[in-house]
Amino acid sequence: MTESSVFQPLRFRNLEVKNRVFRSSISGRFDNYDGSGTEVRLRWDLKFARGGVGAIISSNTPVHPRGLIVPNYAHLDADDKIPFWRELGRRSREYGCAYIAQIAYSGRQRDIPGITYAKGLSSTDKSEPIHGLPCERATVAQIREIVKCFAQAARRAREAELDGIEIHGCNGYLITQFLSPAINDREDEYGGSLENRARLPLEIVRAIRQEVGDDFHVQFKLSGVDHHDALFPWWGKGTTIEDSIQVGRWLEEAGVDGFHISSGSAFPHPRNPAGGFPIADTIRAYDTMLSSGKNTFRNYLMFRTPPVNRIFKWAWERAGKRDGIEGINLGEARRFKAAVSVPVLCAGGFQTHSSIARAIDDGSVDGVSIGRPLIANPELVNMFAAGFDRAPRPCTYCNKCLINFIENPLGCYEESRFDSREEMVRQILSVYEPEPQHPVP
Amino acid sequence: MSVIFEPLQLGALTVKNRVFRSSLGGRWDNYDGSGTDVRINWEVKFARGGIGAIISSNAPVHRRGRLVPGFALIDRDDRIPFFRELGKRVHEYDCKYIVQLNHAGRHRDIGDLEFPKGVSSTDRREPIHGFPCDRLSVAGIRELVDAFAQGARRAREAGLDGVEIAGGNGVLVTQFLSSAVNDRRDDYGGSLENRARFPLEIVKAIRGEVGSDFYVGFKISVEERMNEVFPWLRRGNSVDESVQICKWLEEAGVDALHITAGAAFPHPRNPPGAMPVKDFVKSYDTILSSGSHTLRNYIVFRTWPLSRLFQWQWERPTRRRGIEGINLPEARAVKAAVGIPVLCGGGFQTASVIERVIESGACDAVTIARSLLANPDLVHLFEQGHDRPPRPCTYCNKCLANFLENPLGCYDESRYDSREEMIDEILAVYRAGEPSPA
Repeated sequence: MTESSVFQPLRFRNLEVKNRVFRSSISGRFDNYDGSGTEVRLRWDLKFARGGVGAIISSNTPVHPRGLIVPNYAHLDADDKIPFWRELGRRSREYGCAYIAQIAYSGRQRDIPGITYAKGLSSTDKSEPIHGLPCERATVAQIREIVKCFAQAARRAREAELDGIEIHGCNGYLITQFLSPAINDREDEYGGSLENRARLPLEIVRAIRQEVGDDFHVQFKLSGVDHHDALFPWWGKGTTIEDSIQVGRWLEEAGVDGFHISSGSAFPHPRNPAGGFPIADTIRAYDTMLSSGKNTFRNYLMFRTPPVNRIFKWAWERAGKRDGIEGINLGEARRFKAAVSVPVLCAGGFQTHSSIARAIDDGSVDGVSIGRPLIANPELVNMFAAGFDRAPRPCTYCNKCLINFIENPLGCYEESRFDSREEMVRQILSVYEPEPQHPVP
Repeated sequence: MSVIFEPLQLGALTVKNRVFRSSLGGRWDNYDGSGTDVRINWEVKFARGGIGAIISSNAPVHRRGRLVPGFALIDRDDRIPFFRELGKRVHEYDCKYIVQLNHAGRHRDIGDLEFPKGVSSTDRREPIHGFPCDRLSVAGIRELVDAFAQGARRAREAGLDGVEIAGGNGVLVTQFLSSAVNDRRDDYGGSLENRARFPLEIVKAIRGEVGSDFYVGFKISVEERMNEVFPWLRRGNSVDESVQICKWLEEAGVDALHITAGAAFPHPRNPPGAMPVKDFVKSYDTILSSGSHTLRNYIVFRTWPLSRLFQWQWERPTRRRGIEGINLPEARAVKAAVGIPVLCGGGFQTASVIERVIESGACDAVTIARSLLANPDLVHLFEQGHDRPPRPCTYCNKCLANFLENPLGCYDESRYDSREEMIDEILAVYRAGEPSPA
């Protein structure tokens, strides 16, 4: 089994990863409100290192407090955060698992904005359209400041002796808000043509290279296709695969060592994570966000009200199922890979050994990243090594994990995967056992 | 010297002055109830400010009995090391540490993954938000009596200075005591004696576990006044009934009584002051999924003039009775009936007022929450000769409205030079303060 291509090391320019399975960026609100890390997050990440993945891509790590998505995620915004990340990287490597920090800036897509900054910064001053999250249009000076924040966060990741960084350039966050012609309405050098829309990510990559040098792993997560019109056809398509490929070529020239292909101009999006729309769980957790935007109360009432909620669920799930769930982004990743020469990872529902091996063998991708199926089965890679093609209790793509994370500890909330509800809760809370005592550096 | 700085003897416990920090804490801890350094930073701030004793924020004795997640629990022996460290750090300032043992019963603002429903004396929903609950069986009651006793034992083993049983403010013990809630027909309901059975059993069980030389206090809402929240609710226990309960508690071995008000939290009398509806709109959304009446309440908070009407009704008792010392008449009634010390909460922040109430014999010490949140060094300010801090608490209750979603702190911008300064002050709790004096 270990001859499978899944278990062949993956060689980037500056980093070798022991196999082809990356933990994609997932985590719960395990940290302190101010962005300092806790032992709970250490345990969360190490669970996957122990389970055999080749590398962990951290959950989104704000490079500045204004760029958070929700509070209680560890930041990389100041030098006093470095010791925490050093400890996390060191402990991860004890399992032979590389640790890559995903450095991120939310822009206007801030589900819970926190108390420090009432509005996000974006390419535009139009509110985010789904929840109505407010924002200000970033000035050129503010854009330069954000570029610097990315570069400084990369330097901190290097000083923390992590194995690399991933620039979060997709899923509707700040970089998407610049790249996407459906969002970016600027008339200066950061808007309009593709070249202008790509200016921010390219400046970020160049600034990072200047800060960390050429011998540090820098990868870029990109939505192959925005599918901005997935639910509402009149919304415009956003970034197409042709545009993404062009941006990818420019990014490679600027010094990117690898790509990570995802999908969607928002998060969540029917295609990412593709699968169910769990109405009951959404009603329970979405209330927390009502104060975040001007459309949230409307949405909340819609989620509560049959049959509108059933119709929404049907439309959401239909938009996500067109290309299947496992490997939903493979077609786009394949076209992208053909155009660049650095390794390409692909996200999207992977959890079957043979499917992953096939995707690698046929040259579609070089590795896969996994989120939800690893929440369900943190030992998935060890299971593959032991001969399982799929975990005995696979992820059902119900997306209950996704919606619970706002209010509850992240974990698998699909009761059907457990012998009982008690067993499920025990499993979710196991990240706190034994009692966390250590003050983390 | 001012009476504020005279030591107070509470059973076997001596406290250096007459100012106690009342139970007050944010959601600093982990979801599972394990404590964090942030809570230690929080508590040390008040010890450094000069108060005589800290009463911890509510520490659930059982997981099912928490008000919201994110508070340290004292439900298992492996919690002891955290509380030991906390006590050690607070003791460095010659400040005593008293753990408030709590069970929320049906009053759970945010439920728990493990237990979708709370428990109570009744199986009727909590009337304000509509939180659901199961009626406790007699066996269930016995188990919880033991949980309180074990919580007290853990506090003692952690080297802390005492415990306070949370008996007011609408938590489980109130749900037994209150004639507005308890609808049982067994030994734990009906007559006042029966309604008081549960707390009295708790006191006796704690005494059995920790002996007679460990401080055991009891916090009680002498005036329950549920009809001040919504006029259609029943009033609850009368002052006479509460005074009788206090006498029984004294006989059972309680060392002091802590006077508060309201058979719910928050309540127009506790914390007394404003109803900041705009701030509540921003954080009340978090609990919409917790109860059957929450959406109705949320719409009231959002909708003028309903919001204004609610606000007017909420602020009535404090317009009538004043804020600072709002519970003094009830404290005086209890003090006249018992021989043990009486602590009193309710808006205190003026040295001369505190002196006067202690000297007049209304109570033996005061407990302070919001005013310390605004000025953690309040006692030092009194020492320096201030009668009131230069920037006193405005009783705006924005702290209260914010705590569900945001770090606890003073959210009254008018008390700061700028919003940035306010945020910085609120987030300071995440940074360890000055090194300890040791």
